Amino acid sequence: MRSDGPIDGSALVTASGLTKRYPKVTALDSLTVTIAPGIIGLVGPNGAGKSTFIKILLGLLSPTSGTATLLGFDATRQDVDLRQYVGYMPEHDCLPLEISATEFIVHMAQISGLPHAAARERAAETLRQVGLFEERYRQMREYSTGMKQRVKLAQALVHDPRLMLLDEPTVGLDPGGRDEMLDLVQRVGREFGISIIMSSHLLGEIERVCDHLMQIESGKLVRYEAISALTDVTQVLTVEVEGDVSPLVERLRNAGFTVQQDDRRVHVQLDDDRVYDVIRDTVAEMGMGLVRLQQQRRRLEEIFGERAVV
Amino acid sequence: MSDQAGSIYNLGYQRYTGPRLGRRYAIRVLALHRLRACFGVGRPLSSKIFPIALAIIVMLPAVVQLGIGTFGNADAKVIRPENYYRYVGVVLALFCAAIAPELVSRDQRSGTLTLYFSRALKRADYALANFFALTVSLLVLTVGPQAILFAGNGLVVSNPASYLQDEWKQVPEILASSLLLSVMFAGIGLSVASFTPRRAYSTVSVLAVFILGSALGPILLSVSDQGIVRYALMISPFHVISGFSLWIFGASPEGNGVLAKADIPGGVYALEALVVGSVSLGVFVRRCLRIAT
Repeated sequence: MRSDGPIDGSALVTASGLTKRYPKVTALDSLTVTIAPGIIGLVGPNGAGKSTFIKILLGLLSPTSGTATLLGFDATRQDVDLRQYVGYMPEHDCLPLEISATEFIVHMAQISGLPHAAARERAAETLRQVGLFEERYRQMREYSTGMKQRVKLAQALVHDPRLMLLDEPTVGLDPGGRDEMLDLVQRVGREFGISIIMSSHLLGEIERVCDHLMQIESGKLVRYEAISALTDVTQVLTVEVEGDVSPLVERLRNAGFTVQQDDRRVHVQLDDDRVYDVIRDTVAEMGMGLVRLQQQRRRLEEIFGERAVV
Repeated sequence: MSDQAGSIYNLGYQRYTGPRLGRRYAIRVLALHRLRACFGVGRPLSSKIFPIALAIIVMLPAVVQLGIGTFGNADAKVIRPENYYRYVGVVLALFCAAIAPELVSRDQRSGTLTLYFSRALKRADYALANFFALTVSLLVLTVGPQAILFAGNGLVVSNPASYLQDEWKQVPEILASSLLLSVMFAGIGLSVASFTPRRAYSTVSVLAVFILGSALGPILLSVSDQGIVRYALMISPFHVISGFSLWIFGASPEGNGVLAKADIPGGVYALEALVVGSVSLGVFVRRCLRIAT
């Protein structure tokens, strides 16, 4: 019996030389990474080793060689202790549909080590947080896909983990449900202060929710970086004005800037700060309404290219 | 317990600072959960009907004997403890075939197994908790009627005190035979059921093992009851439980029955039950270690 928290270290996860070999394939190939607390997006093509990585972190698989620690616990030797502080939301269906969400979440909380009274209290609380408070006594077979997905999130959250591992949390959801799920994930990460490692094949989702990105391919780490660094501002300034933009384009070209016109928007290469003066003067002289003046950010899709990740 | 239905206030997120009770607690919770599931406790009526009906049927022979003892001849022992499992063996096998899939096939089919394995348990713990639950349920179904029989017989005789003095030896005998049966049946049921995620197939597989074994054993014996071939009867679960019951209660098989024909020492049946129970538990644990999640 232990009531103290896990050994606190600055790293959330450290993997060193993590390798998992199967007779025919190498799922992880000496992967070494140190992950800081936060919301981490795990990307990579199918079969890249994402699931293997998550399962090793959970202590569900033992690595062929190398070590992994989470929250200061050794993933192989302290798997049970570790799992009291980790929540896992698998990609596949995992709900017993013949019972109610409440009953299920209470049971799951207890199997994670919470005493019965605390389990009941936190089950009600968690189901409220994921927006299922009213429906919590209904059999889960009556739930929509979105509701089931939220129960899956709730079971990973109910024991107040320090880290949640979410495997494709938006799979099978319609755009509305997807938005709700991403908002929830973000809230859990930002407001509740629980670290999250979330796998997804949609870069847009990762960009929206995560602060770090970890990319694996063929079992190897390709990059682990802050998303803000990846999507840093570009040297392109976008100007949008009311009315005809051609005078502005002409003036900018005359001043020697590289300009691209795109309908009512103008993209100017930001080589030198004088560009701002030219735009200001032109807009003022011509009496144009300036709608937007913004330095563009790069998007993850552009960095990876369409086929690089999916 | 906070039950603030209809609350419109967002209270923010509360961290859990209480104790985390760990593995042993989780095993206990799971074992108890499974024990309740065996009898449909806390489940809708439809889940209760089958186990409760079988439990009642299993008690019937004991009740019949009580009736005979009460209204007829108190000394007439039509239903004897050493024969009890011969009468109800099929019912107990049905119970295994219905409940074992409920315990271990359902979790695989729904995918819930992954959630158990990613919590404060080891895979083997999951197996042991289920084995414990089914074994205890079977103990209830075996010790229960034997206890009714024992107590009933004691109450209808003219001198209960001397009955107790003469017959107390039955208590350890009842416990030993029930335990052997429960371990063996739970092992067979769970090991077979754990290989099929679909409950219907799982039930049929468990039944098939019991029925085929019990049909084939006597058939093989009828080919020859000489030499080593007569040990073929040991593939019949129902004859095995009869065999060790007779041995434990110190009785011998009736004149021209199959057991008498096979003439296998009773202790061999007991040993077999123990071995089958342990080996099938081993198979079940191994299966749990390997199920892909």
